[in-house]
Amino acid sequence: MERLMPRIMLDFKDVVSGYGEKDILQGFSATICQGEFVGLIGPNGTGKSTLLKCLSGLLPVKSGVITLEEKNNTNYTQRERAQMIAVVPQSFDIDYDFTVEDIVLMGRNPYLSYRTRESQNDYNIVTEAMRATKTLNFRKRFYNNLSGGEKQRVIIARAIAQEPDIILLDEPTSALDIHHQIEVMELIRNLNLKKSMTVVAVLHDINLAARYCNRLILMKDGRVIIDGTPKEVITEANLKKVYEMKMFIQENKLFCKPEIIPLRVIKESENYRSLKIHVICGGNQASQVLEELEAMGHQVTAGVVNQGSDDWTICDVLGIPMVEESPFTAISREKQEENLAVMAESDLILISDLPFGHGNINNLIGLENLRGELYFHRNCLNNDFTEGELVKQLELIKKKKTVNEMNSHQEFIKMIKERTLINEK
Amino acid sequence: MKKKLKKYALPLSIAICIGTIYLCTLTGITTISFGDANKILLNQIFHINLGMENINEGATAIIWNVRLPRVILAFLTGGALALCGAAYQGIFKNPMADPYILGVSSGAALGASIGIVMNFSSNFLGSNGVAILAFGGSFLTILLVYNISRVGRKVPVATLLLSGIAIGQSLGAFMSLLMIFNNDSMTQIIFWVMGSLNGKGWDQVLIVLPYVVIGCVIMLTSVRELDIMLLGEETATQLGVDTEALKKKILFSSSLITAAVVAATGIIGFVGLIVPHIVRMITGPKHRTLVPFSVLFGGAFLILCDTLARSVTSQEIPVGVITAAFGGPFFVYLLRKRKKGGL
Repeated sequence: MERLMPRIMLDFKDVVSGYGEKDILQGFSATICQGEFVGLIGPNGTGKSTLLKCLSGLLPVKSGVITLEEKNNTNYTQRERAQMIAVVPQSFDIDYDFTVEDIVLMGRNPYLSYRTRESQNDYNIVTEAMRATKTLNFRKRFYNNLSGGEKQRVIIARAIAQEPDIILLDEPTSALDIHHQIEVMELIRNLNLKKSMTVVAVLHDINLAARYCNRLILMKDGRVIIDGTPKEVITEANLKKVYEMKMFIQENKLFCKPEIIPLRVIKESENYRSLKIHVICGGNQASQVLEELEAMGHQVTAGVVNQGSDDWTICDVLGIPMVEESPFTAISREKQEENLAVMAESDLILISDLPFGHGNINNLIGLENLRGELYFHRNCLNNDFTEGELVKQLELIKKKKTVNEMNSHQEFIKMIKERTLINEK
Repeated sequence: MKKKLKKYALPLSIAICIGTIYLCTLTGITTISFGDANKILLNQIFHINLGMENINEGATAIIWNVRLPRVILAFLTGGALALCGAAYQGIFKNPMADPYILGVSSGAALGASIGIVMNFSSNFLGSNGVAILAFGGSFLTILLVYNISRVGRKVPVATLLLSGIAIGQSLGAFMSLLMIFNNDSMTQIIFWVMGSLNGKGWDQVLIVLPYVVIGCVIMLTSVRELDIMLLGEETATQLGVDTEALKKKILFSSSLITAAVVAATGIIGFVGLIVPHIVRMITGPKHRTLVPFSVLFGGAFLILCDTLARSVTSQEIPVGVITAAFGGPFFVYLLRKRKKGGL
């Protein structure tokens, strides 16, 4: 029975804390059990690092209780706490020439009194910690002469030498390149899995957090917004509450974890006269042009797109109205007419870079009778699977209407910008 | 080879220090022959009589009551100042820290000035009044500085340094005022401030000795924690160091030592600043080696400076002048090196 009940390592109850008069944490509550790998995510200034400071005894709690292994956190001496909790900060520099071994050996301090010197056992633990972090072969080098990734590994070795139950990480990868980020995260996951160390990490990179943590706590303004598995937490609805920006979430097939793709925070700085623009799309090339037109403030519509296609996803995320067709189906007459009705309202119609086949060539039927200007991406001709029908259809349109041909979407964007820019002078 | 050198470094340094004490005791303006001096020392220390008949009592007094205590006091003073400097540089994480940075020297100087102006130089409460007032002045200063910077239980290092400087400056102003209104005492005060070992004997040695010994013990029991303090206070806390307790311990023991030394010898500058730096360059930043070698090297350095001060000319030069003359250029060198990203 006992094995079924995981041991509670940390319990936060309505924790309020901050600097001076200002409260950063405003009633944080959560319970963390042994062996969990918890990621704290959320924007800057929401109290993630403050929480770690309260936990490691640097900052007093103004109200609420932090329970650390069944005892109130404030009742531990710094030395006792350091035997249970090790902290890995962002990589930092030291003004003095300590060797790697000196630094790792400092992790043994909580176990040594002022009378005792480091024993052989301490040195064994330190050697083992350096071996686990692959820092053993440069143990005699000066810490200052190491690279960022090596420094971070040394700091993790020091944390291991502390033999803690809980390891706290404060943005451990923010100063590292992509290779060292993964290296450090894998190292920490190994500690979590093999030594069943409880890990609480402040992470800015949501994708990294989703990939390695088995539980995420999304924070804002010193409170928990949502607490759960990465799949439960990383949803557009949750993240929208916290981050003011456009983003979309997709499932990373490789890791079976949700993945966030941030799109845009700042609106276009210039003002544009709004036009009604319809984009004929449905492949995987139109995402960028759709996004840019949307960001400029135009009333963008799209169609006919098959559900599940890349262009469909971006329209869905950006909230662009579109005429949809079921996945992998040829466009029905009904949808084609619906699309035509939408296009009838448009000032401009863009036939974006997409492959045409028998299934979607009816997108072009009836364009010749519309009032809107027509633009055509030349590359469509290179992806023509209609056995000549595309060219025939274009000829038909050209008889009644000008078709402006262009070689890239950027050409179209540039033209639109020039035409609609409101010059405030 | 290197390891062997490390193993023998400490006994070797102790031997060099004893050698320095010995040689500098033999050096001086009054010519006493090498043989005679040795005979006097052997006779006084080990009671071995190798023919004291031909040696006049003046020579014995010079060697035993003047030079030897003075050399030993120089050793203790230099060692104590270097020890406190090393400790302060550690807890303040600031390479410019020296034993006087918290205003201890200004407090002592003001106390001594009051003593000199009021003519307490002898027989005040059965002892040297100037020294007692200097000691009291420096200790009151440190209490004041500490309590000004204290926020609850904590003492932020930056505030401590700044209030130390501020209090030091104001006390210096009071001292200047005293000097202006007491013209006749001015020379005496200036000489006191410059620091000198002139005329100091076994009494001062016995006053300073316990402070230095206790100080060394306290520092040596804190070496690991002082090392960790160099990583910053937050990291030190997270590694189980009670930083506030450590600061308090180092602050008060260093201040006591400094106050005792300053009361005995006046303000001898630069030893406490430069010696720890030189030692750190040789032994590295770990306090386990830094502390003992600073004491030994600081002691030997001040003996040499003092020997120069008393034997170069017939007019005695205050030893503070010699240390500053060496220390100033070195300080500049340090600053330049620091600019290049060293230290």
